[in-house]
Amino acid sequence: MATEPRGRLAPAEVPALAAAFGRAVHDAGLPCSPERSVRFAQALCLAQPRTRDRLYWTARTVFVSSREHLTEFDRVFAMVFDGLVDPSGPRGDRTAQASADAERRQRASQTGAPALDGSQPEPDRPSRGVSSGGGVPDPDAPERETAVPVAGWDERLADNDFGALSPEELEELARLMRTLEVATPLRRTRRARRHRHGERLDVRATLRHSRRTGGDPVRRVRRRRRLERRSLVVLCDISGSMEPYARAFLQFLHGAVVAADAEAFVFATRLTRLTLALRGAQPQVAISRAADATPDWSGGTRIGLALQHFNDRYGRRGMARGAVVVIVSDGWERGDPELVRREMERLRRLAYRVVWVNPRKAARDFVPRAGGMVAALPSCDAFVGGNTLSALAEVIDEIGARR
Amino acid sequence: MSSGARPGAEAAVRERIPDVETLTRRLGEADYLADEGLATALFFAIGLPQPLLLEGEAGVGKTEAAKALATLLDTPLIRVQCYEGIDASEVLYEWNYPRQLLRIRLAETDRGGLAEEQLFGDDYLIRRPLLRAIEHPGPRPAVLLIDELDRADDDFEAFLLELLAEASLTIPELGTITASHPPIVILTSNRTRDLHDALKRRCLYHWIDYPSAEREAEIVRRRVPGAPAELAADVAAAVRNLRREEIQKAPGIAEAIDWVAALRLLGVQRLDADAAGRTLGAVLKYREDQDLVRERGLEYLAVGDGD
Repeated sequence: MATEPRGRLAPAEVPALAAAFGRAVHDAGLPCSPERSVRFAQALCLAQPRTRDRLYWTARTVFVSSREHLTEFDRVFAMVFDGLVDPSGPRGDRTAQASADAERRQRASQTGAPALDGSQPEPDRPSRGVSSGGGVPDPDAPERETAVPVAGWDERLADNDFGALSPEELEELARLMRTLEVATPLRRTRRARRHRHGERLDVRATLRHSRRTGGDPVRRVRRRRRLERRSLVVLCDISGSMEPYARAFLQFLHGAVVAADAEAFVFATRLTRLTLALRGAQPQVAISRAADATPDWSGGTRIGLALQHFNDRYGRRGMARGAVVVIVSDGWERGDPELVRREMERLRRLAYRVVWVNPRKAARDFVPRAGGMVAALPSCDAFVGGNTLSALAEVIDEIGARR
Repeated sequence: MSSGARPGAEAAVRERIPDVETLTRRLGEADYLADEGLATALFFAIGLPQPLLLEGEAGVGKTEAAKALATLLDTPLIRVQCYEGIDASEVLYEWNYPRQLLRIRLAETDRGGLAEEQLFGDDYLIRRPLLRAIEHPGPRPAVLLIDELDRADDDFEAFLLELLAEASLTIPELGTITASHPPIVILTSNRTRDLHDALKRRCLYHWIDYPSAEREAEIVRRRVPGAPAELAADVAAAVRNLRREEIQKAPGIAEAIDWVAALRLLGVQRLDADAAGRTLGAVLKYREDQDLVRERGLEYLAVGDGD
């Protein structure tokens, strides 16, 4: 290896530097194990970076493992190596982060964002007076019921509009939603499994077995194509006009992600992917995490742009191919309805089925008049209300329906 | 398992590629122009050594990077193209059952007898890419390209992970085969699904961005021999403009190369509206995209230095 004395890192400094930077990356919330710091130290010894650029690429190659992490990583790198912060200082970033969070929350509550972590009181709303307790199903009952979901539910709760529920009722609703079974239709995969009554002969396996019987294929092995559930994608509108429903549908998103391994997105002015935030946590934790990840609560609606973004970034790449796509929105579009129409057509060409859920549909004398709704309808395979728990059962039926 | 256990690159490789600058130069000689970031990432893939996960838009040269690496190391490129339902017998090895059966029958007729070892010898083993990569005799390690890993099922991913960590595999009839020259591993993904975190943790990562217009013009010129420099520059600028548009499938470097090749075939020297119109199918593969561009007027593609 070429040895050049000038500007080299002293070998003794390398581990400390690598560890300190690894810690900074970890503190910034990026996935980082000590293993990576070790790798970083090795890489530093190997590359002997003498320019900031080389150092940057060295660190980035080792520490970043997803495009989404780049911005945050760049920030940490600048912070540590451009000398803005002493990496060996206290892990002070935490408190700064916390106060920023608090500030943001305050701002959000001023602008009327729904309080998703459940800690803040909802704005006063005439309570429908359902006392929690009476007629509520046993929470220990088996979680997955395949029967028609309405059976045994509090009837008032089942038919109340999500928009008119009190915070306590919402809590109750969250529990009830867990009893819904979200499942998409099956599709055949290319892959085959061994099966006693399969339709295809597995020639290789049959021959392999025939070696035991002196080369005569006595036992025939068959295969059958494997069945798999189609994937599910849920896009939920959280703009101002959907605000009364936002919390209830976020519960639904969480349920879909956990139970059916769905991909979850929310949109108002822009599209935010929530799948990772919602996955693998207690509902309350997951939902407040999702709320933190979403910058545009109760903003204006850009359905067309959001759909376009989805189609370009995710849908076309394969997430929507052959999938069941559910869009929850009232169809109020601030932008050009023409864009909504075009993107819905694209989506329909990609997806197996497109289900549009409009909670306003239940209103008497509802006529789809909102520009975006009119533009989207021709490309929808199903159009349902989903504004109450029993109406949600209909949504679930549509998700499981065959084309 | 830990990266600390890795002994570093072999001497033969270190000799060839002592530092990032040498690697960049040699990649250039293999007609692959890498920027600082990619060169650094590839350098670590060879030097640490550690599998490298490359992501980026379709057509930015993920696969080409692995090919160029194999060329400059003068070792074979062994490629596994992933698809849904791919499984071990398609990437590791398989016994040639029909041939074994024939051999058994033959042994029965001439009563010569047959030792089991004969049946499970080299002649009857079908080597698939991963086995070939592990068995590669050297003198330098092979480059193993696992293309579009996101298309494979996730259980395949787990299987691969284990294999790569050990750089060895066991065939029950033959015993364990350990790589004397563990392959240099490049994985690519188009992000149709998220890869597992366990895999990402063990890999280096690099996101390949579109190159600058000058670099792209240079790449195109190298790939299309005889293309006029002005034409390459025009196309690079036009493609750059297109990527800024609201287009369903933004053209990659591969499309730029195709486009220049098409234009050269027509004998075009500079990109103008007419030539662009005739060859639009080489860059834009969606009718909606073509309509959009034609509506905007093809002239703006021909403006060349549109920045």
